[in-house]
Amino acid sequence: MTTKSELSAANRDLITENRLAIGEPPTAEEVLAYTRGELAPDEEARIRERLIAYPDLVRTLTTPFPEGADPDHPDYLSDHEFARHWKALQKRRHHSDGSLQVWRAFGAIAAAVAVVLGGLLWRAEMQLKQPVAVWEQQDLYPDAQRGIGERPNTLTPHGDSYLLVPTLLPDLADKLRAEIVDAINPSRTVWSSKTLSRTADGSLVIVVPREFLKQGTYRLVVYGITGERQEPLNSYTLRVPAR
Amino acid sequence: MTNDDRFQDLYRKYYKRMVRFYVLSFRVTEEDAEELTQDAFFRFLEAMDEYRGDAEWAYLETIARNVAYNRIRSQKTAKRGAETVDVHDRNAIPEPAAPPEPDYAQREEEALRSKRLRDAIAGLPTGSRECIQLWLNEFTYDEIAKFLKITVDAVKSRLRDAKKILRAKLGDANAFPEVEE
Repeated sequence: MTTKSELSAANRDLITENRLAIGEPPTAEEVLAYTRGELAPDEEARIRERLIAYPDLVRTLTTPFPEGADPDHPDYLSDHEFARHWKALQKRRHHSDGSLQVWRAFGAIAAAVAVVLGGLLWRAEMQLKQPVAVWEQQDLYPDAQRGIGERPNTLTPHGDSYLLVPTLLPDLADKLRAEIVDAINPSRTVWSSKTLSRTADGSLVIVVPREFLKQGTYRLVVYGITGERQEPLNSYTLRVPAR
Repeated sequence: MTNDDRFQDLYRKYYKRMVRFYVLSFRVTEEDAEELTQDAFFRFLEAMDEYRGDAEWAYLETIARNVAYNRIRSQKTAKRGAETVDVHDRNAIPEPAAPPEPDYAQREEEALRSKRLRDAIAGLPTGSRECIQLWLNEFTYDEIAKFLKITVDAVKSRLRDAKKILRAKLGDANAFPEVEE
């Protein structure tokens, strides 16, 4: 004969299995909405199912709550007991107020920082959306092709951006890639482009914000990519003068 | 009567009984129960200014249940994230030796029987299954009725249906004599 205890054991196993499928128990807010009957029928059924998988939690809802004690009953706190518990509660209250003030101060600082950063971000975004004036195009000639005693390509120190146009022989490669490296320490790459499809006229134009390059000497290297192969096509030494 | 007076009155009336409520219902220590009670009253005090009803005790009850719910829920979820012990850890406390086990055939038979029972419960109509699962977890008819928001008579009826279906499924006409006929 099957007994209740046997069935209870099987039920416990079933609940354990169900928990894996059901997941976390409902939140206190969901349970409150369930007990108040504020949920749609299907949602209510879902919460009920999840609660049944956690009988201890169901017990917090169903256990009868005691009634308050009358003043002449021993369960009613005496003045002495009241004073003791009340003091502990007040202590907790003040501790919470202190913590709250710390958090409030922290929150105010965080909010101020967020406002400043937000403002800066907004300004930067607005600037990006604005047209940018480029003073003049910089035609770059490759190294070793600028004649005897060649000098670096000196970038014009005006405007917000440099518009660099390296001269390239047409039809040297299917795709291009460009890099700006430190001329003194070529292993330091300052900037690297993604792979660029070659335009119909074979030209390459690079806009560099003026702030991006500090005073110094750099080298722009243009690579040609054909299939899996990549090889440098030209390099252009650039001099950024002092402002 | 000021808010402070009303609060102090409730505090005196309910403090001891709430501690007992937590100890007996949720099997926590006296110390933990006092902590939960203070927590509930603290939350009640904080929310009291915003409460607009007359039945403050009912509001206190909601908060007290909520505090218990959150405590137990956090314990349940914390268990899932509990630290694991490396089986090769020499410092780990060794498990006591297992008692002698039933032989393989016996274990196999018990596993099959347990699966049959699990499948039988899982296959019940939803209403009957919910009732019997709660009943198997030692909830009273009143508590089941309260949780499922149905009458006690409906609980009894659903349990009888569940018993009938389970008996048929298990081929055991005398199963569960504990359920009221």
